[in-house]
Amino acid sequence: MIQIRDLCHTFSIGKRGKEKRVPVLKNVSLEIEKGQIVSIVGKSGSGKSTLLHVLAGFMKPESGSIQVANQETALLSESEHAAFRLNHFGFIFQNFQLMPGLTAFENIELPLKLKGVPKKERQINVEALVKKVGITQVADHYPNELSGGQQQRVSIARALVTNSPIILADEPTGSLDSETEQEILLLIQSLNESLGLTFVIITHDDEVANIAHRKYRLHDGALVNGGVLHVV
Amino acid sequence: MSFRDQIDFIRQHMKKNKLRVFMTVLAATMGCAFLIVLASVGFGLHKTMTDEMMSNQLLTEVRIFGREDGDSQITTADQQKMSELENVKAVVSRSYVDGVTSISMNDRTGQGDVQLTNLKEEEKANLALSEGEMPTKPNEIVIGYHFAQKLLTEAETELASQSEDEIPTGYTESMIGKTISLELTPLTEEKSDPKVWDFVVTGVAKEPAKDWMMDLRVLIDESYRTEFQEFTQPEVPAEESYFEVYVYADDIQHVGAITDTLKNDGYNVYSITEEMETMDLFFTALKAGLLFVGTIAVLISSIGIFNTMTISVTERTREIGVMKAIGANPKLIQRLFLIESTWIGVLGTIIAVTLSYGISYLANWIIPEIVMNIVAEEGMEDISVTISLIPWQLVAIASFISIGVAMISGWRPARKATKIDVIQALRQEL
Ligand SMILES: Nc1ncnc2c1ncn2[C@@H]1O[C@H](COP(=O)(O)OP(=O)(O)O)[C@@H](O)[C@H]1O
Ligand SMILES: [Mg+2]
Repeated sequence: MIQIRDLCHTFSIGKRGKEKRVPVLKNVSLEIEKGQIVSIVGKSGSGKSTLLHVLAGFMKPESGSIQVANQETALLSESEHAAFRLNHFGFIFQNFQLMPGLTAFENIELPLKLKGVPKKERQINVEALVKKVGITQVADHYPNELSGGQQQRVSIARALVTNSPIILADEPTGSLDSETEQEILLLIQSLNESLGLTFVIITHDDEVANIAHRKYRLHDGALVNGGVLHVV
Repeated sequence: MSFRDQIDFIRQHMKKNKLRVFMTVLAATMGCAFLIVLASVGFGLHKTMTDEMMSNQLLTEVRIFGREDGDSQITTADQQKMSELENVKAVVSRSYVDGVTSISMNDRTGQGDVQLTNLKEEEKANLALSEGEMPTKPNEIVIGYHFAQKLLTEAETELASQSEDEIPTGYTESMIGKTISLELTPLTEEKSDPKVWDFVVTGVAKEPAKDWMMDLRVLIDESYRTEFQEFTQPEVPAEESYFEVYVYADDIQHVGAITDTLKNDGYNVYSITEEMETMDLFFTALKAGLLFVGTIAVLISSIGIFNTMTISVTERTREIGVMKAIGANPKLIQRLFLIESTWIGVLGTIIAVTLSYGISYLANWIIPEIVMNIVAEEGMEDISVTISLIPWQLVAIASFISIGVAMISGWRPARKATKIDVIQALRQEL
């Protein structure tokens, strides 16, 4: 499903003219199969988020190739990448990143609006998902009226709603207490099983990383042992 | 994203910042209304002037005063040719008497506007009688409607000169069949003796259309022209006696064409279309100037739109980042902001147009009232004054400028929105 080869990225930091070049990704190569949960674990600052951002197309890598569903995405233009994301990726963020002016229901509906799905169809899809992630009671609440766990459920539903095959999650439980964390991880596992979705989970927490079928460890921008750390 | 969803999306944003959006729309409204009202004065005065001009002059009249080369006279043959032109109703040759005239009837004397003319052609042109018949003999004449009123006895003249309030009635009986005497004194350096001619009145012209107009004409057959001239200006040969030629079109829409034809034939021509053209040019320039000044107001109000849009882009940086992250096309984001600024412009324009019609109505009602009170001159009540006029063209121009400016001022903020970096935006705190 996803092949990353020799991915390198360097940030320039500091004042202009006196920049320091900081390599953040060093020859990262990895493969993610369809229907798997893959976790990338590492200390803070090890380059996990940068890897995800490059994979998602939020930024262009310095060098290396990324293939998603047999397409070389590193070459896509900004608009093309946006369309590609809409059809192939769902996103779960640490801070949920919900629209404060939209209800839970409307937040889930948003990607369908972007896709131009007719209202009736949207309604049916969103209602089904609301049930699936267990927020029927609070579907018409605004994000600031929801608990962290509920917000993350809304955000998961939003990631699922377009039937994208790959879900990218950056510290999905980073803002949750351990009890809620367990609930969310169980939800992810059950969605993976029932829908066959591919999950890429980025975390600094080994406990979270351990729910994955495959686990990679990133250290100072390079994969430890050059690849797969453990297979469940 | 469907257009309806885009509109919903924008509406939601605008609702969230009602006060700010309201103030921005208000600024756009004021700019646009200022533009419309200012320019409407140009349109209003243009209309007033045109109406005035059209009501005071015979629209179908084309006046010919000589040839362009300056020396050769207009001959009867020339006049014949003119009358054969298409859409020409009549060709009148008219001249004034070159000397001091005094008209008397028994014990009454009066001042008249003595004209030597071709009465047959005058009749064809526009001369209509309120009383009597057109003359058939050379010594028969037609007089203007008000002529008899100014035919005063000595006592009446005395009275009129003493107080302005007492207006003598003049001769009140019918003038038809009466004989009047025209006394002519040449305008020479040394004193010369006057000479008297007698004429019989057969017709009185119709009352002029405007009640402040006075018709004091005394229309005498042009066969007297040489006779009068030999008396007043014996040094000028009779065949060089000066007269003006008036060509009358059968309809106002043919005046322009007739004017052009005559000009091409080498005549010095004046018609209302000529004057209208000059006036139109002046008012077009005035309107353009007013539109220009008004546009500056619109530009000033556009700063408000620019500000509001920039603030709202900045405020929504995180939301825009999320939208882009989950797959919104940058072009869509740009469009959403452009629609929002355009919508502010459209709202402002709609309110401004409505408001402007109200202001225009009030201005046309109140300003003439005030002016009349200050000036308070008699005969002014008759003049209808349009201060402000808003034709649909003005609405179209103002809408175009105002909405266009709104769109342009939303352009940069919208571009800014598309350039928002997803990673930076997602990093923003809630
Ligand atoms: N935009 C940026 N400019 C400069 N340095 C950056 C930028 N983004 C991240 N970094 C640096 O890159 C390294 C990796 O960051 P990140 O990928 O966010 O790590 P992680 O998600 O594993 O904590 C860090 O040292 C961070 O300071
Ligand atoms: Mg991170």
